[in-house]
Amino acid sequence: MSAADPTPLLSVKDLVVEFSTRYGPVRAVDNVSFDIYPNETVGIVGESGCGKTVTGLTLLRLIPSPPGRIVQGSITFQGKDLTRLSEKQMQALRGAEISMIFQEPMTALNPVFTVGNQMIDILRRHKGLTRSQARQEAIAMLDRVGIPVPKKRIDEYPHQLSGGMRQRVMIAMALSCDPKLLVADEPTTALDVTTQAQVMEQIVKLQDEFDMSMILVTHDLGVVAESCDRAIVMYCGSIIETAAIGDLFERPRHPYTKGLLQSIPRIREEKLAQLPIIPGMVPDLLHLPDGCRFADRCSRVTDECRRAKPPLETDPLTGRGVACYHPVP
Amino acid sequence: METFQYAIRKLIGGIPLVLGVTFISFLLMVYFGPDKTYELLGKNPTEEQIAEIRHELGYDKPFLVRYGDYLKQMVTLDFGSSDSTGEPVSKILARTVPISLALITPGFILGNVLGIILALIAAYHRSGFIDKFIMGFAVVGMSISFLIVVIAFQIIFSSSYGLNAFPVRGWNASSFIEYLRYITVPTLSTVFVALGYNTRFYRAVLVEEMTRDHVRTAKAFGTRPGKLLYKNILKNSLIPIITRIMFSIPLVIVSGSLIIESYFGIPGIGKVTFDAITTGDQPVLKAVVGLTAVLFVLTLLLTDILYRVVDPRVSLK
Repeated sequence: MSAADPTPLLSVKDLVVEFSTRYGPVRAVDNVSFDIYPNETVGIVGESGCGKTVTGLTLLRLIPSPPGRIVQGSITFQGKDLTRLSEKQMQALRGAEISMIFQEPMTALNPVFTVGNQMIDILRRHKGLTRSQARQEAIAMLDRVGIPVPKKRIDEYPHQLSGGMRQRVMIAMALSCDPKLLVADEPTTALDVTTQAQVMEQIVKLQDEFDMSMILVTHDLGVVAESCDRAIVMYCGSIIETAAIGDLFERPRHPYTKGLLQSIPRIREEKLAQLPIIPGMVPDLLHLPDGCRFADRCSRVTDECRRAKPPLETDPLTGRGVACYHPVP
Repeated sequence: METFQYAIRKLIGGIPLVLGVTFISFLLMVYFGPDKTYELLGKNPTEEQIAEIRHELGYDKPFLVRYGDYLKQMVTLDFGSSDSTGEPVSKILARTVPISLALITPGFILGNVLGIILALIAAYHRSGFIDKFIMGFAVVGMSISFLIVVIAFQIIFSSSYGLNAFPVRGWNASSFIEYLRYITVPTLSTVFVALGYNTRFYRAVLVEEMTRDHVRTAKAFGTRPGKLLYKNILKNSLIPIITRIMFSIPLVIVSGSLIIESYFGIPGIGKVTFDAITTGDQPVLKAVVGLTAVLFVLTLLLTDILYRVVDPRVSLK
């Protein structure tokens, strides 16, 4: 992708996000840089607390502030640095240029307003439509995301819809103003498995139709494998590996990525006595080691790893990068 | 229609509640309450005289019959005449309740409306200077005793040490201007005190709502902060707000007016109740306690209906 289209839609450079806590500042996102190209789907993968959701929220400047703040770095979207925009400019951009889908469809919609009311608000806000035009638009959008009888559903409240249906409403809201970039934060995690597949399929299909880029924040490597072009693996607030999806799954280079992939249960292969696990625990974000943050859990660790944090070295040709002194060959 | 049926069902469901409350109040205030027999008799009464008076007062009837009589009085709103003045209780109520309502309503509404507005402003500027200023003011209002506030305001507004612009005590509603003059100081005192509690409570409710996921969603779709506050957050916070307002109505009408009316010498229902308690005026007490219970039940009913109006998830089943 990167070779085909050299101008990224979104370019994040050296982004640092800190949260001030009682015990001192915690760096949730530490020097993260990545590019998203038009029409590309990029997965941000990692376990809970690795900073993937904060990264997603920061793109829209939605981190609660205080306690959170962007310490340094830039987020360039269509030539504008989002970290320098005023709050007002950001508001005009949210939902219109960059949209977000959230994890919890149960709580992410406002329970006391109808689905239509919430959708119409967004359409009127960004497209300046009249109420009846916006309503027509909203019905059409609900139809496109695969909601049956949208004319009836539009006047229902979120609690009258199933989880999958609610997530479809979220998607309809997110896409209603033709965004260039969609940030989907664990869009299917709260759904049951069959619904997950349907909703994911719908998102991917609509992404093509709407001609937009997508950042898929998830811990579900299966979802990433199925729907992403490229993946960014995060650990303790930093990117440790980034690669095209095929390369990542076939030949993971960072020991952490490798460990993650090995710990996916495989149904078709012969039964293992025990699923391989990554030993140890994620270090406390308040007391991070000087060296590689994965060092304590890594089988390939050397003294060098403990001295200084390995930088992310990216191959300019393939776009593949790994932050490790001793990557898996 | 659905709401109407719900209201009827709730009203019927409220009957046992009214019975329970009136039963307890009957037990405490009438059955075990002050015995007027010896007040009405002279010195050294004979057994016959005592029995005669007790019969006249109905004290010799069985318990359930007396409770039944009380309920009948409640339904017909005929509580007999006041023991101390001889005036029919229904007349006393008709004379004093409107005064109390006229006295309390402006302060009650202002206290809540201003409370919500200040809470919205404070919540919007959460942990900023304006928030701290408003909350500081609220704490001051809460911390000063109502009595001190009343006296201070009387000095400031109604005495020659201060503005001397309003009457200190009494009541005159012969014209609208007079009415305003007489309610100004009581209203200011109640608002000053109530505002502190209300603002703190409403701010807490609003701030809690602000941390909800749906607020983040609305933000993520570019909703402007003002709209976010008055549309999304305020409507979602209405359930606790309604609860607080509705539940304070019976309390404000009875005990709220009791305090203000005795400080400002206003002849409202609070004053009448206060006098009835101190003199043991049973007919008046029966009426006040019974009607307060009914008022509570009605408020509960109205609260339940309002919940439904505000929150579609509340079912009317």
